Amino acid sequence: MTTHTKEEIILKAENVHLEYDNKTILRNINFSIKNIVRPGMEQGQVVSLIGRSGIGKTQLFKLLSGLQQPTSGHIHIQNDQPVRAGDMGVIFQNYYLFEWRTIHQSLMLAAKQNPALKGHETDAIKKSAADFELTDHLQKYPQQLSGGQRQRASIIQQLLKGSDFLLLDEPFSGLDACVLDKVVELLLQVSISDELKTLVIVSHDIATAIAISDTVFILGKEKDLPGATIKKEIDLIARDLAWQKNIKREKAFLETVEEIKNCL
Amino acid sequence: MKTIFQPFGKISKQAFIIMIVMQVMFALVFWHTTSNGLIPQPAKVAKAFFHLLSTRLLLDNILVSLALTVQAMLYSIVITLAFAYLSVIPFFKSIAQFLVKCRYLTLTGLIFIFTLLTKDGSQLKLSLLVFGIVPFFVTSFLSVILNIDKQEYELCKTLGYNNWQTLYEVIIVGKADAVFEILRQNFAISWLMITLVEGLNMSEGGIGTLLIKYNKYNDLTNVLALQLVIFLIGLLFDFLLGTTRQWLFPHTKIAIGGTK
Repeated sequence: MTTHTKEEIILKAENVHLEYDNKTILRNINFSIKNIVRPGMEQGQVVSLIGRSGIGKTQLFKLLSGLQQPTSGHIHIQNDQPVRAGDMGVIFQNYYLFEWRTIHQSLMLAAKQNPALKGHETDAIKKSAADFELTDHLQKYPQQLSGGQRQRASIIQQLLKGSDFLLLDEPFSGLDACVLDKVVELLLQVSISDELKTLVIVSHDIATAIAISDTVFILGKEKDLPGATIKKEIDLIARDLAWQKNIKREKAFLETVEEIKNCL
Repeated sequence: MKTIFQPFGKISKQAFIIMIVMQVMFALVFWHTTSNGLIPQPAKVAKAFFHLLSTRLLLDNILVSLALTVQAMLYSIVITLAFAYLSVIPFFKSIAQFLVKCRYLTLTGLIFIFTLLTKDGSQLKLSLLVFGIVPFFVTSFLSVILNIDKQEYELCKTLGYNNWQTLYEVIIVGKADAVFEILRQNFAISWLMITLVEGLNMSEGGIGTLLIKYNKYNDLTNVLALQLVIFLIGLLFDFLLGTTRQWLFPHTKIAIGGTK
């Protein structure tokens, strides 16, 4: 097992409950994400929330992002602060960007929200665009970009905003094999950019989600109980499945995929 | 040939133009053969149209009408934007909704009240025109605001914007192109009303006044020629506003063209 320690809690969901029209969507959601420390390197966290389509993943995504409030319960981030809209970087499933702004303008709007970048916004945009291979597309409008380019622009926008958390809703959905590998690489790159950088990936693509995560939470329904809840937490570091390239060929990996499938 | 009568049939631009030319020709031939003594034939209307174009009378009256229309459009858009933007604040929402319902009021019934409220005929025409246009503008713009994609607001929230910043980004900046589209679509309404309000104060002239005069003397040839002028000016404005919108807001052109 790779040497590491789990330090302070950086995100905690406590007894989160969500109802719509007296129908329970999410029930008794409890989990926490801890800061993982690896000696000699900046190691962020990559957590996957896996569940079947229509189980309530997007609702949980919205609660975590602060865009929606739970019916009861709390979600806290660093320093025990309740999460508010704007605390998290959010990448929507369709990589939404303002259609009336060029990519440069959109990135500038985000950079201006980040006090740490004050006076250096343009340089930060140039650097990020170069890192994410978007330099040639900065003056374009979102409609002129491909899906992959939009996704990268969307990720840069939320990174420039300066949040430690990045929530991604189905980031692997509808991508072909080549683009999928690039996205995985990109997310791993983001995750090691800062010690506290934390990626929360909401997905139903089990294999890809496990391949880049250190922890997996399975969202599912329990027999005779309404609403979805966290049925299981899998520590992929303990199973020696985290932070490894070509992990998809390992036996333990395939077993874990099966285990999750059976749990859904 | 078969394609032009099929649902969702696709034809080339050239074929589309040829089709339109043939349809217009057919309409003109039909008009020519069916018109009797009362309804002037197309050639006669065309002759009157070109004669009108060469007169100073038409130019002067067009300028009077255009000046009034543009003035009314400017006032209307300022009032519309103010109430539409404020409609996201609960206190002003009811006022904006009331303005929308004012579409059902007839101008004719309000002429006397407006006469009492205004100083002269010029002001009366302008006020009536603005009052006639604003409800349609507000209706269109409120519909744009109501149909804003929820994700636009959510993106603002994820960027940490407060409600005022969201209003500025999503509605004021984000829907600025829609203002032009509304202007373009509703120009026809103001152009339609101009003939009505100009009849109230005929001393200042205008196309409406000219139309009323020709109608009064049953000069149907000139009435139709003038209608043609009004129609063409409408088309010109439609084109100008559409082009200006695409020039000012390039993303609208991309959306239409689907350029990648």
